[in-house]
Amino acid sequence: MTIREKGYAHWDGQLRERRFPWAPITWLGIRLAFKKKYFKFIIFSSLVPAVVFLVGIYISERIEDFQYMFKGNKQILEVNPAYFKTYLSSDFLLFMMVMILVVSGAGLISDDLKHNSLQLYFARPLTKRGYLLGKANVIVFFLLLLTLVPGLVFIIFKLLFAGDFRFLASYPWLPLSVIGYSLFVTGFFCSYTLLFSSLSKNRRYVSILIFAVYLFSDILFGFFYENYKKPAFALLSLKANLQQVGSWFFRLKPAYAVPWYWSLLILLAFGIAASIVLNKKVRGVEVVK
Amino acid sequence: MIAEISDLQFSYGPIKALDGISLNLAEGAVGLLGPNGAGKSTLLRILLGFLAPQHGQGRVLGFDIRLEQARIRRHVGYMPEDDCLIPGMDAVTFTAYFGELSGMPRQEAMKRAHDVLFYVGLGESRYRFLETYSAGMKQRLKLAQAIVHDPKLLFLDEPTSNLDPQGRREILELIQDISSKKDIQVLICSHILSDIETVCSDVVILNKGRLAAQGKLSELRELHYRLYEIRIKGEGEGFTARIKALGCRVEETEDKLLKVYVPAEMDIREIFRVAEGEKCQVRHFVRSRTSLEDLFARAVGVD
Repeated sequence: MTIREKGYAHWDGQLRERRFPWAPITWLGIRLAFKKKYFKFIIFSSLVPAVVFLVGIYISERIEDFQYMFKGNKQILEVNPAYFKTYLSSDFLLFMMVMILVVSGAGLISDDLKHNSLQLYFARPLTKRGYLLGKANVIVFFLLLLTLVPGLVFIIFKLLFAGDFRFLASYPWLPLSVIGYSLFVTGFFCSYTLLFSSLSKNRRYVSILIFAVYLFSDILFGFFYENYKKPAFALLSLKANLQQVGSWFFRLKPAYAVPWYWSLLILLAFGIAASIVLNKKVRGVEVVK
Repeated sequence: MIAEISDLQFSYGPIKALDGISLNLAEGAVGLLGPNGAGKSTLLRILLGFLAPQHGQGRVLGFDIRLEQARIRRHVGYMPEDDCLIPGMDAVTFTAYFGELSGMPRQEAMKRAHDVLFYVGLGESRYRFLETYSAGMKQRLKLAQAIVHDPKLLFLDEPTSNLDPQGRREILELIQDISSKKDIQVLICSHILSDIETVCSDVVILNKGRLAAQGKLSELRELHYRLYEIRIKGEGEGFTARIKALGCRVEETEDKLLKVYVPAEMDIREIFRVAEGEKCQVRHFVRSRTSLEDLFARAVGVD
């Protein structure tokens, strides 16, 4: 059809002020993530531990039927705060979260920087906060799907399988711990991803950065810890710091003899640095050159 | 009136980008002109609500540029100069997405995206990925996203850059159509003066952060000078020198045609008196239409 064949017509609707102006950004980010190669595979693989832990909860309630499998090691399937902490801060789950960030989060801001689309966003009634919130919520959606949702499902199914509320009576604070830790991990990974995504216009560099910083911080910790045997080196590792803070959330003894609040401070410092960098890098005023 | 600003000042550190600009932008299509560093971009930033002026005040579509920036952006469309897209999207999703961000309901935005894409001539390729679009198609797409929410005011930054003559003509036709028949006011920032001349009825010329000229193109041409094309037979140098002394600006073309810019207050018969005094025959004397290029050159003080 040639130009203007159909003709321009005014739109007779009313533009309205959205309650959540960032919502279209989030939905678009989620839709685009699912279009990415391997993303569906990664997200479903990440949910495998949740299924395994759910089966574990079922078995723990029917332990008598499965005795032959454990030969006395019943404590393996004891569902308590440690069980939840093991799921939420397991090496595998954290690694899969990083993989999700690499695939779905790396391009969130860097693609907009590369393709000059920031100016289109900020020519709309959208604030910088709204823009960042929209982008961050893409990550929030996927990470809460792996942390908060399974965590709460575990509690619900534990109560359903048990048929009573004894579990909740024993650990009334557990739902709050699950919510708190899930939000904390998600919040940290949001700032972590958006920080790197705003640093480069090249999505590949950002992907490498997200993966490499997480991995090398752990390698560095492993190297120093093995050589000097000082638990303080755990502070070098992002993974170890997340697990240390996780121990506090679930009222457990930290894996390394370092106060949990040091880990918390390091992760919070990361978040503060991210917000400063994001504030500088994502600027509405650059929309017109 | 689409915008009124008074005594607008803005500095980037010690550099004054805008120095006390006051203007009223009339309805219709207005061209914003000026050499590099004149303050066009800063003015556009302020009108779009991205920057708050350090001094002065103004209103765009009746909204205060200091206090109601989000409202301004809801009712204006902006077509930037640079190529901008979101990879992995087709044109319909892209256009509808920005409609939604402007405040349109999702279904309405999607329906409207189809309409505007047909309007700008991308109807057939609306489901293609944006990465595969040519420069001309990207330009049309930028126009589509700017008009998807049916803005009252459209800011177009270099709308015809990177286009071949055919594409340029079509984009200009669209802009003309939008500004003349669709009740959408248009502010065009362009370096291509002929584009402005084709589309705009009014111009604003900035120079070094100050207002150099503003008004209806036809009136500005009249206001400053009249242009005559003169061909003479005889000694041309003395004639040229004497009419220059009277305050005229004279340019000679390769085929010896004199383009004489006569000041508004000068009596035209003076030219014939000079010719008589210099013993020259005036063989050709035609009033010519001054081009925007002439106007621009005069306003910013360059030849």
